[in-house]
Amino acid sequence: MTDSNNTENILEIKNIEVVYDDVILAVSDVSLNVPKGNIVALLGGNGAGKSTTLKSVSTMLASERGKVTKGTITYDGKRVENLNPSDMVNLGLVQVLEGRRCFGHLTVEENIISGAYTRKLSKSEIRNELDRMYAYFPRLKERRKSQAGFTSGGEQQMIAVARAMMAKPKMLLLDEPSMGLAPQLVEEIFNIVKELNDKEGVSILLAEQNTNIALRNADYGYIIETGQVMLDGSAKSLLNDDKVKEFYLGISSEGRKNFRDVLKETKKSKDQQI
Amino acid sequence: MGSEILFFFEVVVGGLLAGTMYSLVALGFVLIYKASATFNFAQGAMVFFAVLSFVGFMELGLPFFIAFLVTIGLMVLVGLSTERLVLRPLMNQSEDTLLMATIGLGYVLEGLAQAAWGVEVRRLDLGIPDFPIMLIADTIGIFISALDLTAGAVAAFMVISLAVLFTQTKIGLGLRAVADDPGAASSIGIPLKHIMLLVWSAAGVVALVAGCLWGARAGVQFALVDLALKALPVLIIGGFSSIPGAIVGGLIIGSTEKVLEVYIGPFFGGAIEGWAPYVLAVFFLLKRPEGLFGEKIIRRV
Repeated sequence: MTDSNNTENILEIKNIEVVYDDVILAVSDVSLNVPKGNIVALLGGNGAGKSTTLKSVSTMLASERGKVTKGTITYDGKRVENLNPSDMVNLGLVQVLEGRRCFGHLTVEENIISGAYTRKLSKSEIRNELDRMYAYFPRLKERRKSQAGFTSGGEQQMIAVARAMMAKPKMLLLDEPSMGLAPQLVEEIFNIVKELNDKEGVSILLAEQNTNIALRNADYGYIIETGQVMLDGSAKSLLNDDKVKEFYLGISSEGRKNFRDVLKETKKSKDQQI
Repeated sequence: MGSEILFFFEVVVGGLLAGTMYSLVALGFVLIYKASATFNFAQGAMVFFAVLSFVGFMELGLPFFIAFLVTIGLMVLVGLSTERLVLRPLMNQSEDTLLMATIGLGYVLEGLAQAAWGVEVRRLDLGIPDFPIMLIADTIGIFISALDLTAGAVAAFMVISLAVLFTQTKIGLGLRAVADDPGAASSIGIPLKHIMLLVWSAAGVVALVAGCLWGARAGVQFALVDLALKALPVLIIGGFSSIPGAIVGGLIIGSTEKVLEVYIGPFFGGAIEGWAPYVLAVFFLLKRPEGLFGEKIIRRV
């Protein structure tokens, strides 16, 4: 990558290694770039290192006794090593944590307002920001007075995204927004994410297991496994890549099949070799 | 009105007002419980530390108000060092670890207070007599102590200010967010250490106020630490995380223990107000473990 390109990347991760509790190696070698205004998808199965990568960017890692032991992370021209989550939010980078993590005892509206904590806004400015968010998430407006703990999973995901957007971020890190949600809800949430990216110009790094929907909405994708980047390319090229189709989308040249079939076949061919 | 009924009212009102003093101690516990989900065993020691320092500063010749302000400053300092030396290193440890740490903190504070100011019992004169107010006694026929009445007013004031702080201010919102999910709160940039510092300082000020009222009644002495444990049944009844709960719990404990003491006590040979609150607490634990105002734990399945 040339130097002129560097200035256009809002986030650059170079060869990071992440270790938890000084012994558990979660990420061994991940490098990725997020160009300004793009949606980049980070794909892979459980335990591949997606969440860990996101948390090393938002510096939430320290609170889980994790540490970036090698490599560098540069956000908006600044190294993030010595910063804390609150600094990152002030610099315009907010992470939406896995499992949504709404404040269950607060109302929907209080949850969203809490996202503006780091900004110095007057009551009326907060009102305006809130209305702006309700325009993206009309469903939340209907439920504004409900306790967040009693809303549905999809609504909680929306609350978490709206809450993060209240900080007026330049960049959002989304950790598995599709987790545990019905397909049409996932579709709805991704549409809103795309809309936020278009209209608010927020850059997005997205960790997902749902490869299909992530690639359909992203500009670029990285596939990681056991803490390493295995494959990367534009979202379109990945969607058409045979290996990606077979292993992550469950489609092979012989038609649709599920992951279990793929496993069976590899096992069979192994058995035959023996 | 019959004198029997009047007497009953007198007992109840006296109990309610004494109950507000329990509420004040319980408030300190609730503040810390709300922000870090830990029962702060050091709260009793903080009450003792605060009021002993206050009396100590007055003995040094500081006027009442200056001594009060200096003690508030000292309690903020205690909050600051607790955050820096105890809470921050223990961040992300389990709640049990924190609980044990507060027990240790309690002993440190007790020791420090006695090392600095000595062990003898002091008298604290707030200028408010612990005698019935004659005006009320003459007009309605009920004997109410001026100190009890003051305690009630002070408790009401503290509760209203804390309620406003929690529900109407940005800091209050941050505080409730941290109480709910510290990880998520820090992900949206709420600085945990500021919130902790604030909560511990506020708990310190509440401890000072409670200590002054208790000290004026019972003398400034080591027994104040144990007195604070009376807040435990108050919290069980009201709910650990609720400010209104602390108040209502205190009122319930205060009035029932006095009524029981006066009417049933003689059958047990008296002194049942020492344990009656705990019996009531056990009853609540069986029937309504989250307390009257406690937040039910929300869990989606």
